[in-house]
Parts: sequence; C-alpha cells; structure tokens
Amino acid sequence: QNILTVCFSVGYSAVALNHVIDFKDKKQEIIKPVSPSELFPSLPIVQGTSKRIKVLTRLTLVVSDPSHCNLLRSTSANIRLYDIIAVFPKTEKLFHIACTTLDVDLVCINVTEKLPFYFRRPPVNMAIDRGIYFELLYTPAIKDSTMRRYTISNAISLMQICKGKNIVISSAAERPLELRGPYDVANLGLLFGLSEGEAKAAVSTNCRATVLHGETRKSACGIVYTVKKPRKVEEEETAVPACKKAKTQA
Amino acid sequence: MVRFKNRYVLCEVVSEDPRCRQCIEDRALGLAVRDAIARVHGDYGLACCSISFTVKYLNAYTGTVLLRCRKDSYRLLCSALPFVRYLESRAQRYPCFLNTLHVGGTIRTCQKFLIQYNRTQLLRLLQNCTNEEERQCIQKSLLSCSLTEEQSQSGDEEEDDDTE
Repeated sequence: QNILTVCFSVGYSAVALNHVIDFKDKKQEIIKPVSPSELFPSLPIVQGTSKRIKVLTRLTLVVSDPSHCNLLRSTSANIRLYDIIAVFPKTEKLFHIACTTLDVDLVCINVTEKLPFYFRRPPVNMAIDRGIYFELLYTPAIKDSTMRRYTISNAISLMQICKGKNIVISSAAERPLELRGPYDVANLGLLFGLSEGEAKAAVSTNCRATVLHGETRKSACGIVYTVKKPRKVEEEETAVPACKKAKTQA
Repeated sequence: MVRFKNRYVLCEVVSEDPRCRQCIEDRALGLAVRDAIARVHGDYGLACCSISFTVKYLNAYTGTVLLRCRKDSYRLLCSALPFVRYLESRAQRYPCFLNTLHVGGTIRTCQKFLIQYNRTQLLRLLQNCTNEEERQCIQKSLLSCSLTEEQSQSGDEEEDDDTE
C-alpha cells in the first residue's frame, strides 16, 4: 500500500498489481485478484489532472512446459477477472508459442540471467502484428550490478530484433524506494537502446495499448462490451417501448 | 556566438525517512550522483559529466535539487539519475531516490517550472487539510506565488504542513 501512495505522488496515472504464478509447485490455484477498493477507501487523484487513479490487476504465468499453457485456455472464471495477463517463457519453443498462438497481452523478457535462447525475427514480428508487447523490468538493474549487465544485454539484443517497437518498461518494485518516476524510467529506456520518442512511448502509449488489449480480450473481439447493470435493466425495458413508439409515430 | 550551453536538471528527493530531507547537503548529493554515474557509465561517463557539474540550488524543506551539466553530456547524467539509491552524510545512509521533474536550458525556465509545480503541490495539500488556519495559510501563499517572489516562502508553508 505504501508503494501505491508513492506511485501516485510521483505521477503515475494507472498502476497494475502483479500476481505471479509459478508452475514448479504442484498444486497451484489461481486466486481471485485483490480488488483495489480493499486497499484504498477512496482512490486519490492524479497529479495535474482531475481524474482518479486506476488500479488494475495483472497475472504473470511463469511457464517452462507447454502443458502449463492449457491453463490459459481453460474457462476458469478467475482468469477473466484479471485485467492484464502476462506470460514468462523459459524456453525458445515457449517463446514462439507465446508470440504466435497464446492469448496474452505481455511477454516478459528475463532480465536476471543470461537468456538461454536467442530471439529470432519471425516470432517477434508475429507478436508485433498481433499487438503483444514485450516487457522489461528495471528494478533488478537498480539493485544489483551483475543483473544490470544482464538487463542491458538482454534489452539491447531485443531492440536489435524488434527495432524498439512494442516495448513496455515496468518495475517489479517490492519496496516503495525501488520505484522511479516516469521521466526517469523513460531515461532508462535510453540506456536500453531506445530512441527518446520510443522510450517515452514505452512508458505511456504502449502501456495504455496493453490495457486496451486486455480489455478487448475480455470482451468479444473488442466489439461488444457487456457490463452488468442489474438495477438499470428495468429502466431500459421501459425506455425501449417508448423509443419504438416514437419511431412508429415519426 | 560562442557560448557554453548548459542543461539544468530539476529533481526532487523522495524518501521515507523524514530526517533525510533535513540532512541533505550539496556535497553529499553531488557525491552520490557522481558515484551513480561512475557505476553506470564508468570512467568515461564520469569524466564527461563532471566538466561543469555542480549542484546549483538545494531546498531542504521540499527536497528540490537543481543540477547543472554540459549540454553534450546531459543524457549521460539523466540516464544515471535513476541509479541513485541512497544519500550518505555524516556517516549515515539514507535510502532515497531522485525523481526528475524538468530539464531546462536556463535557471529561469527551471524556476518557472518549479513555481508551477509547487503551486500544484500546494493545491494537493489543500485537499488534505483539516485545519481552517492551514487552509487560509495555503490559499494566501498560493495567491502570492510569482516569479519575483522568493521561493522560500512557498517552501516554508509546505514545511508547516508536513510537520503537522
């Protein structure tokens, strides 16, 4: 909760809380996400504008085996409650599957150790076409020097293949002091090999596009968006015949 | 016209410990930033950035810092600022981080931005105010914010609210 207050004071307008699921443990159930209203009685207002801050929920699946991906196709209700779904592939085959066929919004790129596989152009291009974004973490880089080297080398090798498109930089901050402001994160993007415009987009427009991608995943292909409004149904029913009458009269 | 062009980077020191802000010194901050540049960009980066590197302005009440560097090397400085993790002064380490607010070419532009920023911060504090006196204090200082006034006035008002 402290982390969120620091976030808001620094100037972020939307925050996603991450829940990581690792498949090494045998029994794993997907828990319902923590609703943001439990954390804050009233969400504070963004600095500079008059809108409330959005708190979203996010699920990360650490997959090291193709059979784990079946969980995504299952119709478990709890998965639908998350706004953004991310996958963290550990092998090249899984990276290929994640980029081409899996129904996710983000593909996490490992920053804490040397990548066991090289990126190839075809799956990366297919992911860009599908609207899937690649995610880089920056908190390990702040904490440790060897992780910083791995982060930069992995990030630059990704940049050379995807030319800086579809990148999202996020923090895996566990303490409020590991967070950095949005301007600083965009400057970190310069270190990763992005140009200045791409780095700013990595913090702002790409993130918003990811959230929209998550919303289209919830609705049917982004065309129909159903919202439950139990009380207003009666009003709508009475409104409809009135419209029909108006049409027949006109 | 041959002139050395500088970039002024305006940052805010954010930390959890309330004592940290009172112990901010320009020397300690300069050392911390140089150390971060050395860790990230090595000897070359440190040498490039320290050609004209100084801490121009420091406000201990609000934690505002103004750094100066050459225009050619301000990117190295800006990309190394996220790596500042703590400030060390008088043998005590205070974990903190620097939040970059604005990069400008002259001190005057940074000052204008700072006045606007302080105004929005005071507005935010106004919302959280419970005391009627504080409210009037803040409103008075909001109306009196301008370029010719000294910024220590708005800094003092904010400090009163922080200690409350």
